[in-house]
Amino acid sequence: MADFRVRQGSGASSGSQRRASIISGIYANRAASCRSQSTTSDGKAVDRGSLAGNKYAIRVFDEEGKDVTPHPLFHSDPNTVVPRRTYGSSSTSISNASTTESILDEIVEPGSRGDTTVSLSDVQVRQEEIKEELTKADLDRRVDLYLTETETVWILDMPSVVVSVESEDAGRVLERNRIYVDICTNRPGNDRFVEKMMQTINGAAKNKEVQCDKIIMEDKGMMVTSWDLYDLFHISEIEPTSKAEGSRTTTGKSSKSHTTKEHDRTMSVSSDRGSPTSSTMILESAVLARIHEEEECHSEAVLTSENFQQDLFFMERILMENIFQPKLAAYRQFPVLTDPDVTSDTSGTVTAMKEAKQEKHDKEKKDKEEQKEAFIDPSILSGLNKTPEEIVPPRLERLWSYVCDLTNGHSVSSMVWSKVNPDLLAVGYGAFDFKEQKKGLACCWSLKNPMWPERIFQCEHGVTALDFSMASPNLLAVGMYNGSVAIYDVRSCNDAALLDSSESSNKHTGPVWQLRWVEQDRGATGDGKKERLICISADGRITEWLIQKRLDCTDLIKIKRTESEKKKLPGEKERKSEALISQQAAGMCFDFHPKDTNFYLAGTEEGHIHQCSCSCNEQFLKTYRGHKGPVYKVAWNPFSTDMFLSCSADWSIILWHQDSQTPILTFSSATAFVHDIMWSPKSAFIFAAANESRVEIWDLSVSTLNPVISLFANPRVKFTSVLFAKNTDCLLVGDSKGEVSVFELQNLAAPNSNKVDTLRDVIGPAVAI
Amino acid sequence: GIPIRTTLDNSTTVQYAGLLHQLIMKARSTVRDIDPQNDLTFLRIRSKKHEIMVAPDKEYLLIVIQNPCE
Repeated sequence: MADFRVRQGSGASSGSQRRASIISGIYANRAASCRSQSTTSDGKAVDRGSLAGNKYAIRVFDEEGKDVTPHPLFHSDPNTVVPRRTYGSSSTSISNASTTESILDEIVEPGSRGDTTVSLSDVQVRQEEIKEELTKADLDRRVDLYLTETETVWILDMPSVVVSVESEDAGRVLERNRIYVDICTNRPGNDRFVEKMMQTINGAAKNKEVQCDKIIMEDKGMMVTSWDLYDLFHISEIEPTSKAEGSRTTTGKSSKSHTTKEHDRTMSVSSDRGSPTSSTMILESAVLARIHEEEECHSEAVLTSENFQQDLFFMERILMENIFQPKLAAYRQFPVLTDPDVTSDTSGTVTAMKEAKQEKHDKEKKDKEEQKEAFIDPSILSGLNKTPEEIVPPRLERLWSYVCDLTNGHSVSSMVWSKVNPDLLAVGYGAFDFKEQKKGLACCWSLKNPMWPERIFQCEHGVTALDFSMASPNLLAVGMYNGSVAIYDVRSCNDAALLDSSESSNKHTGPVWQLRWVEQDRGATGDGKKERLICISADGRITEWLIQKRLDCTDLIKIKRTESEKKKLPGEKERKSEALISQQAAGMCFDFHPKDTNFYLAGTEEGHIHQCSCSCNEQFLKTYRGHKGPVYKVAWNPFSTDMFLSCSADWSIILWHQDSQTPILTFSSATAFVHDIMWSPKSAFIFAAANESRVEIWDLSVSTLNPVISLFANPRVKFTSVLFAKNTDCLLVGDSKGEVSVFELQNLAAPNSNKVDTLRDVIGPAVAI
Repeated sequence: GIPIRTTLDNSTTVQYAGLLHQLIMKARSTVRDIDPQNDLTFLRIRSKKHEIMVAPDKEYLLIVIQNPCE
């Protein structure tokens, strides 16, 4: 603000007094507010009222003391002021952000010329322009604004007190400095300097107290871990997915019922197993919700979320594993682990292993008593505790059974292993008798959960036959009592069949007693091994089913009734041929030759077994007569492939050779239907048979008269089917109560795989050919 | 945390929930410190009297206490 000169009195140019006032006005205004505006002359606009007010507060006196405060020259006229005001206001608004210099710039309006100080010239210009009258045309006219740079205005000038040694003044400055130093040194005793004291007025001090809010200090500690950092970086990816999950509050009813079912199951676990096992479940939500409704929704969301289902699933499996661990280990032929800490009684824990083993044996004894199993040799019980040097007779040890509430009461009709997963078992439930028919069931059980099946397929009619496909291992073909065949996809939990034969016109009219996927060389068509679904049913047809959009079948062969050879008794007249009710005999079972899949055997209800070929569908190749009742099962020996076994309702099992039309050996040990037989997959000599009241294991290398192991069932229960396990020495037995028990075969004669064809040799002496 | 569903009495439930929550935090922190891309899926604690199995998740904890059957 150094360059302002307030001119008083007579000035060089006209209107100096005005200028004086104006300048002072400017000065005051600038002093007053930083948002300073250069003023025009007096009282121009309303928003300059403050300036005017300022101006009026300032009174100018010239040298004589006369009040020379000028009166406002210009009285604001609304008409003319308006345009002016807009100009002015625009400049004011613009000048807000700009420096003082630019304020001056903008105020410069066309035609401004200043010869004195910049501010004065501005002001002068504006003053002159006030007198113009603006027309409407003028308002619309384009106005050119010229911005020019003014001279530099010094606001603050602090001349330096440092002078370069090389400058012109250097010498003078140095001289002055020296003089000054001299003066300073001369000062104390010099007459020219007198010390004088002055008293200043001290202003009255005032104490002022200010109170502020308490400053609250908080300590916060944080531990940063490496995964925390990792999470932060990935939070953007995780966010959208978690939001999607959170919004899913409602899910289908099936999943909810599944949850409750599982819950019930775990509850039933504790009730079924009674004292030994009890598992309790706590479910906890780690989310704190502020609103109660939100909390409810959230817990619903949690309970029905997929993650939760999966967690429950895993948990259940682990529980099962814990419960069944010793049994499963025996199944897998691992050494059984026992928990050294856990002892049911308070006996000491010395040599825990032995003791646990003892306990296990005790438990087995209890089990045996419960099951009312009778062994051939009762001394086995004591024999267990003896050292293993003695030969222990073979026995079946019950490991566990696949049973659940759902299957209780349904009779097991067939069992089959999955072709790819040797731990997956499919069991069909359905009654054999016409009178006992109810809705059937096909379940897939897994080794990992013996208490609840993995898949449950409800069927309209009793299931009488099952098989897994080899080519597409997820397909399960199910044959039913009403003759229809359905194909299920095991991968899905869906209850509906993938394909059903109900619409097929050619379907069976009698129960499908056996069903199998057979791999065959279709040399004619040029394909490699192709798999076909073949069934035999009580309406006397063996059919092959084609899997296209709908299930349709073609006949392989129709089983014609053959007359039985009857010896003519003397005295009897020649009889006419029997009047046959139907031309066809009901087929009960079939088996394809393990080596040459063109041949197969078919067992019928009349007791005959026919050997047929796929290439010839009119006639049988051979007929084996020997059974007096319906043949329930035929099975080729997997090792000695020219012998086969058949069982029937005439209480007997017959061993045949394929070349001879009379039986080789007959096994009969009980007066009961033999429902099922199966050769052991490990040995050529061993097979299992299910009578109604017993399960028998026969070992032909040991004895052909008596079974090696014979296991009795509970009185009310009948055994209906047997299945050997492929990867372990276990036998599965299904009964009429719906229970599939797993037994471990112990101490059977070890099979010698070198001797393949010696079955013939073994039984040779016993055969009367 | 707040128990949603339980088959035990309330006080035991709350006790288990609180204590196991902390343990899961610790276990999870341990697993993730070693490898941040890893995460805890299941925890089993076998004791003399019980076996405690915990399946943690972002939103909930599933706790099962089993008496061994031996």
